[in-house]
Formats: sequence, structure tokens, C-alpha cells
Amino acid sequence: MHSVGRSWLLLTGFILFYIIYLLFGALVFSSIERPMEDKLRHDMERLKEEFLNQSCVSAASLELFLNKVLTANKYGVSVLHNSSARSNWDLASSMFFANTLVTTVGYGHPTPLSDAGKAFSIVYALIGVPFTMLVLTACVQRCMQPLVLAPVNLLQRSGLKPRPATVLHFILLLIVVVLCFFLAPAAVFNVVEASWSFLDGVYFCFISLCTIGLGDFVPAAQPGQQYRALYQLAVMVYLFVGLMMMYLLLRTFHKMADVHGLTTLLQLPRCEESVLEEDTEPIVNNGPSPRLKDKPASKPLDPGSQPSYNSINKG
Amino acid sequence: VAAPDLLDPKAAVHNSKPRLSFSTKPVVLNTPDDDCDTRTTVMRWKTVTAIFFLVVLYLIIGATVFRALEQPHESSQKLNILAKKLEFLVEHSCVNSTELEDLVKQVVSAVRAGVNPSGNLSNQTSLWDLSSSFFFAGTVITTIGFGNISPHTEGGRIFCILYALLGIPLFGFLLAGVGDQLGTIFGKGIAKVEKMIKWKVSQTKIRVISTLLFILFGCLIFVALPAVIFKHIEGWSTLESIYFVVITLTTIGFGDFVAGEKGSLEYLDYYKPVVWFWILVGLAYFAAVLSMIGDWFRVISKKTKEEVGEFRAHAAEWTANVSAEFKETRRRLSVDIYDRFQRAASIKRKLSSELGVNASMNQEMTPGKRTLSANLCEDRETYPSLKNGSLYLNGLSPECADRQEIAIIENFK
Repeated sequence: MHSVGRSWLLLTGFILFYIIYLLFGALVFSSIERPMEDKLRHDMERLKEEFLNQSCVSAASLELFLNKVLTANKYGVSVLHNSSARSNWDLASSMFFANTLVTTVGYGHPTPLSDAGKAFSIVYALIGVPFTMLVLTACVQRCMQPLVLAPVNLLQRSGLKPRPATVLHFILLLIVVVLCFFLAPAAVFNVVEASWSFLDGVYFCFISLCTIGLGDFVPAAQPGQQYRALYQLAVMVYLFVGLMMMYLLLRTFHKMADVHGLTTLLQLPRCEESVLEEDTEPIVNNGPSPRLKDKPASKPLDPGSQPSYNSINKG
Repeated sequence: VAAPDLLDPKAAVHNSKPRLSFSTKPVVLNTPDDDCDTRTTVMRWKTVTAIFFLVVLYLIIGATVFRALEQPHESSQKLNILAKKLEFLVEHSCVNSTELEDLVKQVVSAVRAGVNPSGNLSNQTSLWDLSSSFFFAGTVITTIGFGNISPHTEGGRIFCILYALLGIPLFGFLLAGVGDQLGTIFGKGIAKVEKMIKWKVSQTKIRVISTLLFILFGCLIFVALPAVIFKHIEGWSTLESIYFVVITLTTIGFGDFVAGEKGSLEYLDYYKPVVWFWILVGLAYFAAVLSMIGDWFRVISKKTKEEVGEFRAHAAEWTANVSAEFKETRRRLSVDIYDRFQRAASIKRKLSSELGVNASMNQEMTPGKRTLSANLCEDRETYPSLKNGSLYLNGLSPECADRQEIAIIENFK
């Protein structure tokens, strides 16, 4: 009874904290972005006035035209420079789109226009998302042994106690992942994409690998891109491997939290492998957990976290 | 000996030989320790690569279908807009092409930043007022990421990264908690139903039916109902509403349709928070369903493994018993033969001792008899040293002796 009450208490605590966190974020975003938005708005007004002043175009027809242009642009069709050369739906781009659909990144540029395309996206996503999560889990499970358990074992054998060993290993892994999957690709994007700065590259990598996928930056969207198909394929591979590494990182963190007894303290679903396969690092606190949920079950929320809807530890 | 792993051919081969002697107790079934072993050993590299190629194939199929469906539309849109542009230029001859392109470029980038230049700009609601920012923060944390609003300042982007780093795990905890509660409630409901049902229905059937009901019910509340509501409020078609619901709840979040973002509509104050709340619970529902299905698969596969393991155990036990019996028979047989040889040999000895030397000179000196006489002459007491030549002692020629029996006797010694 006590543990049930405690779990409800914890849950309400989480919800409250979550709402507060959202409010905080809202305030900060608002205060940072709003001035910029106002400035842009003024610029637009001025531009329109200038244009209307010096030409014979009436306001109404300009509005009409602009609306049409914007609708077309929303779907990725550009009206500039007769750019009819490349399509957004050739094979490589379609594959890229399917990939963003299935990994739940979902940039939104381009999006399916036709009704049939939308219906097909629904079905395709419903099947493909759990499937991809399964693959990611499987791959990461195989990677756990050489990348996590073996090094921790090594560290332990060289004299460290289990707790510091896991922490040290996690930090090392974090540094390696950040270097290889954020900073290095950002540098590459900086070179390949003309209009992206280095910070834009890091921002893009982060937003993609967390599967947020805002879509303000999409690779291979520039008109004059060379080797477009190859580039898109490379980005696809990068996304997949990056997702795997994020998930691996998450698992390592979860195991570390287990060893430190955090998951039992917060009554979170436990990493169920840790109970049975962890002969390298002794579990410090084998306290009761309310239920062992199935982690490897597919979870399309965020491939960076456990691929189980029910047991999301980190995003 | 635990039941061999199903997917591992090497293990199967290795465990198939009954290494049991008939005195020990036969196999142990799936111990609980095997649980994680089976899970972590299930996905061999071959299986993983197979699934990986399947995913790639799936992607290729998706790509071809999307291309076939979307490219015609795209081309027609392109032609449309180009035609409109030319029309505009022709109609308004004082505008030249470059000016127009300039304007369009700026307008497009403004729209990307969220400013809609059409209409009167002054009384437009900001995209970054508190409620919209709240919504944006929500989309970042749930990793949906619609993208119709996105930060454009450097500071905004850096803050977005840090914010997501902390917020996504937080939301993960929350979702885990809500999903757990949903699962518990549902489990308790099932238990109550099971108690209530008087007639004998198998437990699995109850579970299956109740899971299906849960899924159906949940779909109704979290998918169908919101779709209808969106259709009425936002003015989308049915397909577009369902499309929006699915794309949002799987956190793909394209952003081509976003609830509450149409500038021309007047929304009630509580519309956006309700939408956000729906997203949260809908995501938890998806999570609960999928984990339930995952649990199911695990239980089913464990049960299947157990059953197969039991079956294999029985088979192994049976083969062990049979071969043990066979060995026993062979042993008895070899002892029997040995006895017979002994008896025959002793009879022969008596006979030959009675016959004396005459017999040996009159008969043919087959090698066996030569050995026999030699042996008899030398030593009568060292009776059958059952070595290779022993069979010759009693006069049997090698052709008569069964090779197997020779082997048995040798082995027995």
C-alpha cells in the first residue's frame, strides 16, 4: 500500500515538475525569439510597401500571388529561377523521406501532397516505426558487449570499484559520441552546405538525432547541390548509426543509474537485463521494483531512448 | 542440461546427444536464469543482419511507392505556380522578373521564420506569445517537433539544444509513469473481469479478448474522437485529420498540419492546452499498448520455448533411456557370449586332453589349432586371456566370430 501511494506521489511530482519546466521553457523562448520576430515583421511590411509603391501591382493581386507562392513553397515547390531541374520525389529523396518517416524524425520538408500519399504514409509509419525500433534494439543489444560490458570489465580489473568504473566509462563514451556524431558531422555540413554555420550544423545534428526533426534545416535542399543522391544516402546512414549510438548511450546511462541505485529510488522501470546478466558489476541495491516492464518492446517515441514506450528513461 | 536455444543451430547440435547415463536424472527445463540469456542470445548477428536488410528493403519499397504517388502531383504544382508567375508578370508589366524573385525570396524566408506577410501584419498574433511558446516547448520535449515554429536566433537555438537535453529524459520519466499507471489500471481491470467470469474460459483467451478491447477502446478515445474534433474545428478533411493524429502520436510530427496554428481561426482559450494534454495521454496510451504487445510476445515466446524445451527434454530422456537399454543389452550379450566361449573352451580342453597328441597329428593344422595345441602344451592354466588371439583357443576360426562380439568382448575387458 505504501509503495502504491508512493508511486502515485512520484507521478504527480513528475507531472508538476514537467509543467513547470514547460512554462520555464516557454518564457525563455518567448523572450529570446519575440524581438527578432517583431523586427522581421517590420521588415516585411516595409518591403511590401516599397514594392507596391514603385510598381503597378495592386495590394490584392500581390496578396493573391504571395499566397499561392507560399502554399507551393510549403510543399517544397520553389518558384525561383525556373528550378525545375531537381525533384523532391526522385528515388533518393523519396528514400530519405521514408527514412525520416520510419525513424520518427519527420522533418516536414517535403510532405506528401496527394491524398493517396497521406494514406500510404499512415500505414507505412504504423508498420515501419515499431519495426525500425526493433532493429535498433537488436543492433544495440549486440553492441553492448564490446562497447560497454567489456570496457567496464577492463576498468574493473585494473583496480577500479564498480561504481566509479561505470561513471568513468559513461563519461568516456559520452565524449566519444559527441565528438564523432555531433562535432565532426557539423564540420562536414558546414563545408558542404553553403548557408549553414558550424552552430547550425551542431543544431541540426542534435535536432535530428533526438528525432525532434523541426525541419528548419534539411540537408540536400539547396538547389545547386552536387551528388545529391549520394549525399542523401550518406545522411541516412549517419542518422541510423547516430540513433543507435544515442540509444546505446541511454542504455549505458540506465545501467549506471541502476548500479547507483537511482532507478530503485525513483521507482522507475528497471533495465531488466541488469538483474540477470550483470555478473561484471554487482548490483548495489537489489530492492524491489514495482514491475519489470519490457524495454525492448518497440517505442516510436524517440529512438534515442529505450525502444519501449512504457519505459522511457531519457528522450 | 537446459533446453537448447531455438535459434542457435550450434547449440541444438551440441545438445542433441544424450550425454546422460541412465542412472542420472534427465533434463532440467527452462530455468528462470535463462530468461535474459534467451533474450540476449536470441538476436544473433545473422538474425540482426537479416532484419536490417529487411528494413532497407522496406525503405526502398516505401521510396518507390512515394515517388510514384507524389511526383506527378509535384510536377503539376510546379507547372501551376510557374504559370501563375508568368501571368503575374504579364499582367503587371512594371514589375520585372528580378524584383519579383527578390520579393519572393524574402517572403519565403520570412514565412520560415514564422511571419506571415499576407494580410494586415499588425494585428496578427505573435508566434512566440506565451501559449505558443508553451506549445513549442512541448513539441520539443516530446520529440514530435512540428517545425512550423522554430528558433531563429543563435541564442534560441543553443537554448533549444540544452532545453531538449534535459527535457526529453524528463518527459521520458513522465511517460513511463503514466504508461505504468495505465497498465496497472488495465491489469487490475482484467483481474476483476477474470474473477467475475463464472464459466470456464482459458486465461489466454480472456487476456487476448481484453487486450483487443483495450486497443479498440483506446483507438476510439485517442484516435477517432480527436480526429472528428479536429475535422470540425480546423476544417480539415477526414483523411487529413487521421493523418495528423497518427503523425503526431507516433512523434513523427511533420508540421504540415498543426492543430491550433491556423491564423484565420478564432480558438477558444483552452483549446491548445487540451490538445497538448491529449498528446500526452495519447502517447502514453501508445506506449502502454506497445509494451503490452511486447510483453505478450515475450510470454508467448517463453511459453513456446518452454513447450519446445519440454518436448526436447522428453525426447532426450527417451533417447537416453533407449540407448541405456541398448547398452545394457549389449553388455548382457557380451557377457553371455563370453560365458559360452568359456564353456566351449573348457569342453575343448577336456576333449583335447583326452585325445592327446594323436588328435593333433591327424588333423589339419589350421592356425587356430596350432595355436591351441601350442598353448595347451605350454600352459594350461592361463586360460582365456581374452586378447586378440584368444578366440583361436577354442578352435573357432576367425570367420565365424562376429566382429561385433569380438569388439564387445574386447571392450568389456
